Amino acid sequence: MRPIRTSYAQDLTLLPTTGSRVRVALVTGVALAIPAFAGEFYLGELAAVFIFAIAGVGMMLLSGYTGLVSLGQAAFLGIGAYTNAVLLARGVPLILSLPSGAMLAGLAGVAIGIPTLRMSGLYLAIATLAFGSIVGTIFQKWEGVTGGFGGFPVVSPTLGPLILDSPRGLYFLSLAMLGLVLLVAANILRSPLGRSLVAIHGSEISAQSMGVNLAVTKTLSFAISAAITGLAGGLFAHYVHFLAPDSFDLVLSIQFVTMIVVGGLGSLSGAIYGAIFIRLLPQGIALLRDDLPLGIGHMPGLEPSLFGLILVLFIIFEPQGVAGRLSKIAHYWSAFPLHRRATFQRQKSYTRSERVR
Amino acid sequence: MSLFAVEDLALHFGGIRAVDGISFDVRDGEVFAIIGPNGAGKTTIFNLISRLYQPTSGRLIFRGQDITRRPPHVVASLGIARTFQNIELFANATLLQNLLIGRHSHVSASILSQILYTPAVRRAEIAHRGRAEEVIAFLGLERHRDRLIADLPYGIRKVVEIGRALCIDPRLLLLDEPSSGLNVEETQEIAAWIDEIRGTLGVTVIMVEHDMSLVSAVSDRVMALNYGRILALGTAAEVQRDPEVVRAYLGG
Ligand SMILES: Nc1ncnc2c1ncn2[C@@H]1O[C@H](COP(=O)(O)OP(=O)(O)O)[C@@H](O)[C@H]1O
Ligand SMILES: [Mg+2]
Repeated sequence: MRPIRTSYAQDLTLLPTTGSRVRVALVTGVALAIPAFAGEFYLGELAAVFIFAIAGVGMMLLSGYTGLVSLGQAAFLGIGAYTNAVLLARGVPLILSLPSGAMLAGLAGVAIGIPTLRMSGLYLAIATLAFGSIVGTIFQKWEGVTGGFGGFPVVSPTLGPLILDSPRGLYFLSLAMLGLVLLVAANILRSPLGRSLVAIHGSEISAQSMGVNLAVTKTLSFAISAAITGLAGGLFAHYVHFLAPDSFDLVLSIQFVTMIVVGGLGSLSGAIYGAIFIRLLPQGIALLRDDLPLGIGHMPGLEPSLFGLILVLFIIFEPQGVAGRLSKIAHYWSAFPLHRRATFQRQKSYTRSERVR
Repeated sequence: MSLFAVEDLALHFGGIRAVDGISFDVRDGEVFAIIGPNGAGKTTIFNLISRLYQPTSGRLIFRGQDITRRPPHVVASLGIARTFQNIELFANATLLQNLLIGRHSHVSASILSQILYTPAVRRAEIAHRGRAEEVIAFLGLERHRDRLIADLPYGIRKVVEIGRALCIDPRLLLLDEPSSGLNVEETQEIAAWIDEIRGTLGVTVIMVEHDMSLVSAVSDRVMALNYGRILALGTAAEVQRDPEVVRAYLGG
């Protein structure tokens, strides 16, 4: 049964039902318990899932909620990673270097947000793609700072009891950061700011007529998304230990797009499902590699092609992603046996031929 | 007393004179209808008032203030709300969320306090929710509160759009063809609400409308337009009798 609410305040609570509180407590408990028995390798891989989920939340706010496409997310990740690594190498403590990476990435978000204010769809995709490749070139050419193609080794500091050199330390730090980022995102989404993001997605002209300042809000969406992705980047540096300029390229940006589409646009849990998927897929391919027929498993470019294929299949067959599928299943059981097939079918849409041009 | 005045307003799109030197004023508390054939320039006047278009010349005066240069996102906070001819709701949000966005011009919390979701933000949210619920009750939309706009039938969406505009707590409400696409009963319901919006809520209404029975039923004065110019202005009966208006409608 659907919970019956008794006050407005209840609707504003992050976890309004007992079920949702139990679920979050359970997931948190499991996440905290895992390091007690999992090996270092698995902890490292799980940390990567958390890091990608953070970046996924960042992209979800921009694309899933505000409806702005970005093919430049890898650049924000790279800015966060390089800033953190370079500052650490110069003796800045992690507690400053990590937020600095997020902040610099946020500023880069403003820098791409302002000139693209009037763009959407394909044009925005191209503009963000160009931005990504410019930033990638800077990573390559600014050798004095980034080490260019020679790469940049990441020194591993300690943060209180956590030694970031170890997958275990990174696991806990990434988990805490993911929790923080989810809280921030959930607060944004239940606030006026979150509603104005959704409004811009729905109709820019009526958002404006409701009092939403388009320029400020869209730029803010880019900045917040970029800062969160930059934070993920800082953590990512400690996962890879060594930064190479070409690890922050278009392939990674497309992975991020795949991640939020597969996970489910317009849902925070979708970012997590997507991150799990995107990190498991390469492992799955590695496991199956030798068993696939016709040597497919050893074809060059197998992974990116597979990501692209899955992206397309999801857009066509499951546009609500994993999160959407799960909520349909949950709805099916909560309404059982009264579920109707047509529950999720949309009414035929009205035309928009005479909009403001 | 005049609440809103338009002085010699014009907007030319290249060679097209969509609005071609129009002046009128709207009294506080009246329902003012704008009629005219398709392409007469009615929606363009609304887009000028909403500041989505910049006039070629002329002025817009609201409560004695010149608002001709104000950016579109401040119009709501001045107390001017509108609906759109082809419904511009936020389709991926619920009805309630749509109404809450109507409260946006009353939001004062900083971005940081929203991210932290401070007690002040929570209190303000409860107040906004209370206002949205009043509008929901006023328009009888309780049953649909938590449904996505994309799942609602056309007739309900038109009402939701009026509700979203009312959440602004406007002094002036612009309705662009509120009855288009609705059946007779739904149109009568709209007429009753327009009466109440003016009577109970004390909101001044400018309405673009084709349905002359609705126009006659609710409006104090009617302005007929054609090719961006005023043909006639007066009571519904006077305007309907006007020879120029008759000719425009008969395709003269
Ligand atoms: N953005 C625009 N660009 C060019 N022409 C426009 C634009 N908006 C409206 N027009 C033209 O202005 C005239 C008036 O349009 P409109 O105000 O929508 O008419 P209506 O009275 O049916 O609401 C029409 O000829 C229309 O084609
Ligand atoms: Mg029109």
